Amino acid sequence: MAETEDSNKNTPEVRIMHNGPLILKGNFSFRDSSGKIITGEQEILLCRCGESKNKPFCDCSHKTLPVTD
Amino acid sequence: MDKTDRNYTNGKITVYWQPKKCIHATTCYRELIEVFNPRKRPWVDMDGASTEEIVRVVKLCPTQALTFKYNSELEPEKAPELPEVLAEARVMEDGPLVLKGDFTIFDVDGKELRHLKITSLCRCGRSDNPPYCDGTHRKVGYTGK
Repeated sequence: MAETEDSNKNTPEVRIMHNGPLILKGNFSFRDSSGKIITGEQEILLCRCGESKNKPFCDCSHKTLPVTD
Repeated sequence: MDKTDRNYTNGKITVYWQPKKCIHATTCYRELIEVFNPRKRPWVDMDGASTEEIVRVVKLCPTQALTFKYNSELEPEKAPELPEVLAEARVMEDGPLVLKGDFTIFDVDGKELRHLKITSLCRCGRSDNPPYCDGTHRKVGYTGK
């Protein structure tokens, strides 16, 4: 009866939002460019348009841009 | 083993260079230009610094394009892998986001992307191959600040 139930075995996810940020969600270790590390369950939105004033995080600057992908 | 792979030795250790893995994070030459000088041929000069210093910088390579082994089979106390974290997301200064390990990545249309050990995602918004990094951040002078 053991159907393969572990297909989503808690792997952290990365979602690439259309003309928007990267959403990282789950249990992983996040390391910023200064070397600071945060490990554990978390959800982070990272800038992908290059325009955020709060890098590496998204601050919704992409909404002012014609980012395409 | 790719035909573009190279290795360099100083008799004590051998440094392996796999250009296809390189994302030009520039860590190696910013840390140790005496050894890793992309303007020189060969670009790696194993006499440019001590073995310890070369090992230190090779370990900083975020993509393992640079790796090393001790020539003696003295199996070093240091394991080649960093302390095992299943998944690590690492923000490269003025560069991409490097995803290492066990991530599931979904594209803009919700399709799962192929992810091997390492995936580098564009952060500068200018890659010609989105969502991946293609090195454009350097040309456009992107800063992560």
